[in-house]
Amino acid sequence: MSVLQDIATEEHKMEMTPMIDVTFLLLIFFLCTLKFKVLEGKLSAYLPKDVGVNSTEAEPREKVEIMIRVVTEGEKRDPVDPSKAYSGDGPFEYVGRVLRYSIGPQATQDIEVLTERLDRIFKLDKERPATVDPRQNTTYGDVVPVIDAAIAVGFRDITFVGSYE
Amino acid sequence: MNINKADAKTEMEMDMTPMIDVVFLLIIFFMIITDLTQQDLEVLKLPVAHAATPDKPDPKLVRPVVNILDTGKMIVKQETKYDPENPDLAVMEAYLSDQARLMDRAHFNKEAGTGPLIPDNPLLIRADRNAPFKYVQKVMELCGKKGIEIWKLELAAAEPKEDEPEQ
Repeated sequence: MSVLQDIATEEHKMEMTPMIDVTFLLLIFFLCTLKFKVLEGKLSAYLPKDVGVNSTEAEPREKVEIMIRVVTEGEKRDPVDPSKAYSGDGPFEYVGRVLRYSIGPQATQDIEVLTERLDRIFKLDKERPATVDPRQNTTYGDVVPVIDAAIAVGFRDITFVGSYE
Repeated sequence: MNINKADAKTEMEMDMTPMIDVVFLLIIFFMIITDLTQQDLEVLKLPVAHAATPDKPDPKLVRPVVNILDTGKMIVKQETKYDPENPDLAVMEAYLSDQARLMDRAHFNKEAGTGPLIPDNPLLIRADRNAPFKYVQKVMELCGKKGIEIWKLELAAAEPKEDEPEQ
């Protein structure tokens, strides 16, 4: 075969392989970076309906008011290794955080006790609404277990009290 | 010898084009998909809730998603709407009132069909577990304002089995 002929056949072939390599690499890259939507859970709650609209008031019913207070804020620690101190940047975790939950005059620091108490209250009146009143320095992670407990025992109507700072 | 050569050539030319087409289509598909799913949800550490119901949003339903980071920063569709370092809720309020206008409406007293029409769709709040609750309350406060009046809330939580065993 002559050199000319050789060149001619090569051109005719048109090198596909590198392009396919690159395309496959791209495909693998996008497959790997594709983050499947993690199925998340949700808790339903309601806001007082008559805040913005002044209208007829709903049937008054005594609400179960759960107050959440922070007793000890806890220490900010490294989320991966809680024995390490928090570096001051990025995510953190509270260690030794103490909260107090109270319904009326009764208070507890144990979420299990609160759940039991809520269960007893719910069984007396299944239509009773509950309100959550998180006080200063509470975090979202402090409030969600309380709503979770209330929903778990059966409360369906959960609202928030506006003690805005 | 000649027959062999011809055979090798035709095989090379035949297969490639449709395969490359498909691969390109796949790439385009994944590019679009990744953009859509990552738009709403920020990377957060959600608190764990046992009573949480799985969240399967209806794509046709207008349901705004507000992400709140542990610093208190509020992010909607990867855009910062509120920063505690520059506390101005106007942007957030404008966003919520826009969303409220797009929502389905129902009467204040749903069964009786009386009262003013108020938005009937929920708002999803996704806050980090260490996010101070006062920022969630700020969003709630905005929801109650005239012109917004969103009263249904959904609080995002992680399901226990998906969390690490430490909790």
